[in-house]
Amino acid sequence: MGARASLPLNGIPASPGIVVGAAHLLRWEVPEVPTRVIPDEAIPAELERLNAALRKAVERLQDVRERAERTAGAAESAIFDVQISVIQDEELAGRVRLMIGQGFTAERAFDTVMVESREHFARSANAMMRERVGDLTDVHIRVLSVLLGLPDYDPVDLPKGANAILITHDLTPSLTLQLDRECIAAIATDAGTRTSHVAILARSLGLPAVVGLLDATTRIETGDRVILDGTAGTLLVRPTTAELSQADARSRAEALQRAQLAKVAGAEAITADGVRLTLRANVDLPDEVGTAATSGADGVGLMRTEFLVVGRASMPTEDEQYESYSNVIRAFDGRPVVIRTFDVGGDKLPVGGYPHEPNPFLGWRAIRMCLDEPELFKTQLRALLRAAVHGDVRIMLPLVVSVDEVRQARFLLEESARELAARGIAHRADIPLGVMIETPAAVLTADALAAEVAFFSIGTNDLVQYTLAVDRGNASLASRFTPLHPAVLRLIRRTVRVGADHGLDVSVCGEMASEPIMAFALIGLGVRTLSVAPLSVAAVKQIIRGIHTSVAAEAVTRACDAGTPAAAEAVLRAALEQELSENP
Amino acid sequence: MVERLVTVRNSHGIHARPAAQIVKTTAKFASHITITRDDLEVNAKSIMGVMMLAAECGAEIVLRADGADETEALDALAAVIAAGFGEQ
Repeated sequence: MGARASLPLNGIPASPGIVVGAAHLLRWEVPEVPTRVIPDEAIPAELERLNAALRKAVERLQDVRERAERTAGAAESAIFDVQISVIQDEELAGRVRLMIGQGFTAERAFDTVMVESREHFARSANAMMRERVGDLTDVHIRVLSVLLGLPDYDPVDLPKGANAILITHDLTPSLTLQLDRECIAAIATDAGTRTSHVAILARSLGLPAVVGLLDATTRIETGDRVILDGTAGTLLVRPTTAELSQADARSRAEALQRAQLAKVAGAEAITADGVRLTLRANVDLPDEVGTAATSGADGVGLMRTEFLVVGRASMPTEDEQYESYSNVIRAFDGRPVVIRTFDVGGDKLPVGGYPHEPNPFLGWRAIRMCLDEPELFKTQLRALLRAAVHGDVRIMLPLVVSVDEVRQARFLLEESARELAARGIAHRADIPLGVMIETPAAVLTADALAAEVAFFSIGTNDLVQYTLAVDRGNASLASRFTPLHPAVLRLIRRTVRVGADHGLDVSVCGEMASEPIMAFALIGLGVRTLSVAPLSVAAVKQIIRGIHTSVAAEAVTRACDAGTPAAAEAVLRAALEQELSENP
Repeated sequence: MVERLVTVRNSHGIHARPAAQIVKTTAKFASHITITRDDLEVNAKSIMGVMMLAAECGAEIVLRADGADETEALDALAAVIAAGFGEQ
């Protein structure tokens, strides 16, 4: 048998870090059930087989619950009590027994009843019922596995120090509770995105993870050696010796880079010619707050609030939102925290049944949706006003195209403050209100906006998309998505000038600011506040410290007058390379 | 038979864990026990039934018990609901 070539698999980076370990495949899916009928005389024995399987499944769950209680706590592990109660449900078992009485095998009868029940819950108009489908699926899998004599995949059985890389289709809540860092080193899933439950959990546990691998569970076997790179979003299955030592070297290099950047993190964001910049962190998800607060950032330049609504079964209450915002504000201990109101379309809301739109980016979303749903918007505004007592909070409105949207939002903000005052609830009524500048309309009417707001924040991704009419999610247009297009540079220049004329702070929030050439261009255009991902803060600081604002300004003036995006980029790149070679 | 109208008080309503608490409570009694919300009547000893109520905070539900220990059963069930299942 010759040595097999290693198998590379590409997914979505969900939690950074490189790990080499043994795969532990968790096939947590409903098994195929053969259709078979049994003779009448076999029915009593089949009924007993069902009872025995139900008992065994309950015993197994009690064991899993006890162990999960130690790692995840009593409140969390109570979900296994729910599953035990479902298995012990006499009405459910009664329906299964009825089918066995008609000559079906125990597994066929149980499978049929569970498929019907899951469909009934999944199709319910009520979110509370739909949320239970995961538990019913867990019960379905567990009991069928016992009846079919399939192996038990529960990860609680892994020995301590196994350094296992968990490979699974998706991490259900009940599997999540069994994660024990003492035996699991990393996670890889077929399903999921950067914002899905498993990604958030992996980051909060500090476990490297790759999600969205599509079919990893069909291409990896338990015991396979795997290199998981959570930074790049890749898996390398059955790596060669050379690949293993490469992974080792990269893992050491990453640690070294982290250590180097950690030194810069504490330094000031000051250019080579002595201009002080404000560098803030973007926070997408609550679990990033810790990293953001210790990144060396001067506050939060953009806290997205979409995680509160996307993928949920119901809208978050005012109290829940208040807790979420307060956690971030407290973590930053008086440093500014800019919170953006919901930037989603109606189709992302858990309520309402809004129609699908042919052009969602030009559709009913962000401030448009919020102004049309004032109760939903005011719930968020009241939560923000309440949370603002804990620090320096600023509210930012997305996708503004006209000053009347600011006026309407302000009216609702003031109304929300009055409602809180009437109820005698602590809040801060004088929160600064700012707007995202992310449409050409906002840039061209920035003077009118400036008269009514406290700050501008340029959203580079959307400004590029709406200026160039290039969908940023469309892979075939990737080469046409050019942030250094002279049109975009001129719009940013104009915004910065209007801001300066009115004494407003103009910041740029967006991943683009973490690219050296973009940071260089933005500083040249006069932007003095940047906000980037927490993990990019130190790297951007390093760039800032290596450049002169005068050189950047001169280069970007030429870039603005360049004929094409490529020419603009070439001008900036040459100037930046010159800078960095002189100020290493 | 005894019956009582009660209001769900905990902020998350009768979600999974409260449903498990309800069936744990009712399992201790011999009486036939039901919970009715609007037109839906379910067996209070069946967690699948109780979860189908999808009773949120503020929902009004009718508890009924019929049997030798019906009064104690109804009191016990009403008590766990009134206590908000130990939640807020």
